[in-house]
Amino acid sequence: MALSLSPSLLGGVSLALVSGLALSVQAQSTTPPPAQSQPAQVQPAQSQTAPSQPAPSQPAPSQPAPSQPALAEIPALQATAPGPDAPDPSLSPECRVPGSKLYTLAKLKAVKKALREHRAVQVLTIGSNSGGLGTAATYPVRLEDALTRSLPDIEVTVESRGVSGEIAFGAAERLRNQVAEIEPDLVVWQVGGNDALARVDIEDFSQSLAETVAWIKSHGIDVVLVDPQYTASLAKDDYYRQFVQAIQKVAEHEQVPLVQRYEAMRYLAGRAISALKGGDTAQSGAGFRLADLGYRCMAEHVTRAITVSLLQPDVAPVSKASPVPAN
Amino acid sequence: MREPNAVDFWRGIALITIFINHIPGNVFQNYTYSQYGISDAAELFVFLAGWSIGIATRGRDGVPEPAGRTVLRLLSRMVEVYRAQLVITAMALAMLAGAALYLDNPLLVEWHNAGPIFSDPIQATVGWVTLLHQLGFFNILPLYVVLLGLAPAFVLLSRVHLGLAVGLSALLYAVSLVFEINIPSWPVEGHWFFNPLCWQLLLVLGFAAHEWRRSSERFLAWRRRLMPLGIVIVIVGAVLSWFNLRPDPLAVPEPRLLFIFDKSYLSPARLVHFLGVMLAFQAVFGLIQPRARWLTRQLAGLGRNSLAVFSVGSVASLGAQLIRFWTGGGFATDVFVVGCGLASLSFTAWFVEWRSRSPRPSSAA
Repeated sequence: MALSLSPSLLGGVSLALVSGLALSVQAQSTTPPPAQSQPAQVQPAQSQTAPSQPAPSQPAPSQPAPSQPALAEIPALQATAPGPDAPDPSLSPECRVPGSKLYTLAKLKAVKKALREHRAVQVLTIGSNSGGLGTAATYPVRLEDALTRSLPDIEVTVESRGVSGEIAFGAAERLRNQVAEIEPDLVVWQVGGNDALARVDIEDFSQSLAETVAWIKSHGIDVVLVDPQYTASLAKDDYYRQFVQAIQKVAEHEQVPLVQRYEAMRYLAGRAISALKGGDTAQSGAGFRLADLGYRCMAEHVTRAITVSLLQPDVAPVSKASPVPAN
Repeated sequence: MREPNAVDFWRGIALITIFINHIPGNVFQNYTYSQYGISDAAELFVFLAGWSIGIATRGRDGVPEPAGRTVLRLLSRMVEVYRAQLVITAMALAMLAGAALYLDNPLLVEWHNAGPIFSDPIQATVGWVTLLHQLGFFNILPLYVVLLGLAPAFVLLSRVHLGLAVGLSALLYAVSLVFEINIPSWPVEGHWFFNPLCWQLLLVLGFAAHEWRRSSERFLAWRRRLMPLGIVIVIVGAVLSWFNLRPDPLAVPEPRLLFIFDKSYLSPARLVHFLGVMLAFQAVFGLIQPRARWLTRQLAGLGRNSLAVFSVGSVASLGAQLIRFWTGGGFATDVFVVGCGLASLSFTAWFVEWRSRSPRPSSAA
């Protein structure tokens, strides 16, 4: 119960959570994980381990977790604790991005509370539901699968809603109504696409976004933001870059996790270019293939940001996986 | 062509407002009345559609036309609106895809909910042709299609008893609000942007207002007497809107749709605000017409040809958005795109009337 025992898509390193986020970390390995991973001692060399907040009656953080279930226990959370600058091996090869390029972290109190109470976690995704061209499943379905694999003892349901219009002009209001309709534990919000394309004033957008995020949080609902996609033709667009940065600022200020889709896709694009070894990098359709890859990877990337955010200690202030390199 | 009248005039205003508001972020958006109230041009458009049904289903002598003719008239209009919706949606998709190719920007095919049509075409093609999948800002005509489908029932019922038709409409509205009933969207989860089960009330009210105006002195007297109340409602709406005050949808009691400001379900606050606007501005056309004849002629011309003008406006506003994105926007761009758009709306109205005046070789053949 307290341990992550089965290999998963996110495998590589498994990290078991017990109440208060006491955790055990297994040695990182590039080989597939053993079928029955045993709780292991914390590796001193591990670069990122979540501090624990031991509850009375709970084991010390570095001790192997007990086999008997405890009432106040958080179910096993399958997650890895990668180095921030190396490509995260728990991600599938085509989506592999270092943590520092993929997310900034913050606490997810509502989800953690649901885990503690062993109840189903309801997730509302806002924005595109594309899971990539020709894929069998849409993004919400893939997200539900990926989260269910990461939180094996918890029922996760994902509902999705698209958003018409701009945050700065009424869409934020409709989003509030959608949140009120579903009352989820967590909102995963692909934010800013419409506003950026409409080139709305960045200040107006930031203010609306910050107000809406603060409102969602004020009702005890967690938020994960996903910033807009990267595409080569917008790489030199100052407005677009500032726009993405504005979302980062709001995420930081409001202390919500951010999936840095822009950074992650830029990283993946760079990798694709270097793989071509000086070939024709401006081949037609490259941008479309990258966008498609972005959608294929989104469920994994979001799941990763959520699971690693769940490792955030309850007491410490918001932290980042690592400083985000400036553009 | 009929002379400028209040209905066409206001419908012209609604069409221009919708066009400008469908270019989000442009400088003129701040000067449309939608920014200063809880309700907006969509309410006006639907209410006036109901009013027009009242006009259209009576002969020149004011006698209601035969029931069969009314049903056929409304259903053929429904087909016409549906056809317009398919045409403008197809054009919008091609514009987004074309711009995405030309600007090498895959983000553009995701804009306005277009994504599924390109990433999941098998389901989404069924979705958009059956109106279950709607592009952002291309969601008013689907509402209108359903409203025209419902309209024969209400019009015929009103010939038995107008109060009964309004009562039934209000009941459907209330039930949809309380139980949050809406048409689902598909393949993307969610609901229609404009819930026809709620918005039908506004159409029926527009129709009923026309009928009452014809036959009831008391209606006219009360309309005048309630004008100050309308002004108060408009002022309250402006204050709420200006300071961005609205109920918290997670803090209001159940059934929450009765208390929040929600466009999809035409929540009561929006309805009351809109009726207030109607009361407050009822005399404005009479004041403007003698003083600005050219302007009233232009606006009424738009209103007379509302479906064609709306369709061109929808496509033009998307074009304007793409140009704003491409150029980076700015005041000069906004003046250019809005100016061109308004000119194209005006040209459309003129062209439709020119075509209907001119002999058409194709129809003679």
